[in-house]
Amino acid sequence: MIWDIILRAAVVGILLSILLSIMSYFVVVRKMTFAGVGIAHSAFGGIALNFFFGFAGYIFPLFFSIAASLLIAFLYKRGNMSEDSAIDVIFVFSMAFGVFILSLSNGYSANMLGILFGNILSVTNFDMITTLAVFSVGFVFMTYLFSHFQLISYNEELAYIAGINIDLLYYLFWVVLSVVIVLSIKLIGIILVNAFLVLPTLVGSNCSKNYKGIVAVGAISSILSVVAGIFAAYFLNTPAGATIVLVFITIWLLSFLAKKL
Amino acid sequence: MIEVKNLTVVFDEKIVLDDISMKIGKGEFVGILGPNGAGKTTLVKSILGLEKPVKGSVKIDGVDVDEYIKANGARIGYLPQYAIVNWNMPIRVVDAVMIEKVKPFGIFRKYSKSEMESVRYWLSVFGVEDKMYDYIKELSGGQQQRVSLARCMMHNPEILILDEPNTAIDAVYNTRLYGILKELSRKNSMTIIMVSHDIGAVTKYVDEIMCLNVKLHCHGKSGSINFSDVLKEVYGKDMEIVIHEDGCKNCAFNKDKQ
Ligand SMILES: Nc1ncnc2c1ncn2[C@@H]1O[C@H](COP(=O)(O)OP(=O)(O)OP(=O)(O)O)[C@@H](O)[C@H]1O
Ligand SMILES: [Mg+2]
Repeated sequence: MIWDIILRAAVVGILLSILLSIMSYFVVVRKMTFAGVGIAHSAFGGIALNFFFGFAGYIFPLFFSIAASLLIAFLYKRGNMSEDSAIDVIFVFSMAFGVFILSLSNGYSANMLGILFGNILSVTNFDMITTLAVFSVGFVFMTYLFSHFQLISYNEELAYIAGINIDLLYYLFWVVLSVVIVLSIKLIGIILVNAFLVLPTLVGSNCSKNYKGIVAVGAISSILSVVAGIFAAYFLNTPAGATIVLVFITIWLLSFLAKKL
Repeated sequence: MIEVKNLTVVFDEKIVLDDISMKIGKGEFVGILGPNGAGKTTLVKSILGLEKPVKGSVKIDGVDVDEYIKANGARIGYLPQYAIVNWNMPIRVVDAVMIEKVKPFGIFRKYSKSEMESVRYWLSVFGVEDKMYDYIKELSGGQQQRVSLARCMMHNPEILILDEPNTAIDAVYNTRLYGILKELSRKNSMTIIMVSHDIGAVTKYVDEIMCLNVKLHCHGKSGSINFSDVLKEVYGKDMEIVIHEDGCKNCAFNKDKQ
């Protein structure tokens, strides 16, 4: 039983951290980390609707996150308005809507901490299978198109001339990212998911100067944080996301010190 | 052959390029001159299909640019204006030179021996081969620009479009750079379009000159037309201060002075 819970959480956590580390590289290189905050928080509106209707699936959270991420991606693309404030408006709306709906539903407060900060007990077999499927598709998507995204991040005009469909790949990236973020919420929680979009690349950059090294070190440090964090969360009975992120921050601090010394 | 017909580009209701028509033959080395905001970058972007005109067309070898790019994109080398490249990417010079050679599963990629030889060759042509494994963000502006030039050459392009390649490049190397470009257009019959603010050098090295300021004010063989009036028209009357190079033999005031 113990091992079932830990195993499920670890499988989900490891698969998602690998994928998020690769995506993190592009999110950081293009300075879009705040978009991750927006997407994760936007899922809250959908999660609240789940409670309200007594559902458990991913449909509502996915709907909210994908809609928010496409909107945010569109605003980044247009680039002539203050994206950060637009992202703020989008996720604040979703959070407010979520809290409003939740307060109309019964018995929500017990689960609140888990939604916000993660809970290993909430990870089911269904979540594990869904994560495996999403990981397979997402991993092939990101590794197959890695040079494409690299060129787009370097200079979009060169990407266009190379015959890359920039808009399609750009929006697909955000859709895949929303799906991955929504799947991470049960384990990590809404508030802390963004750590997995920022920390892998920060740790990676402290240890390596090259993109391959950054992604590899990022993935390894995320996996370590997830596994260590899950064990700690189980035995200390603390929220999984918070525990994992504390481990991750410690690793980041160590990598920072190692770089300075 | 590049054929631009009645090209008109509008940004926010402002006409940026007005009814431009021109032909550039294979192997020609063309210089585009004009003041800041003249539409030089917009013109080369339109030639690449990156900017969509409200009127007119751009054809390369008889087909619309978009189709040409789809079929031959890799045969165009393009050096964007310096500032719009993301120099903060954590990649080495060799990765930057190879960056347009997009491959599936690029994250696991290892460059082949011939790819490495080609990278080394072009880096040495532009005098930065010793920087091959340095990170692009740690290079100086001029070195970054030379790396970009090497990148353009990796496709063995038929058409080379350079938007201010001499930005950040020192005076001594500039002369060498023009020589290299001239040789490429001669020997490899590469069509080269170069935007530049270096009036003296442009008039000295290129085959054809275009003076642009929203409209195309002149287009002719270098040395064969009288530029002074056109340049004055394009740049305004302060032009005389700028022209001091005797490379521009036909400039009226140069003649006057002689
Ligand atoms: N994306 C854009 N949106 C609106 N206006 C633009 C845009 N790009 C360029 N312009 C305008 O078009 C005009 C021509 O710009 P362009 O960049 O082609 O000039 P340029 O000749 O290359 O100048 P420079 O020598 O400074 O590079 C300018 O007035 C500029 O303000
Ligand atoms: Mg320009």
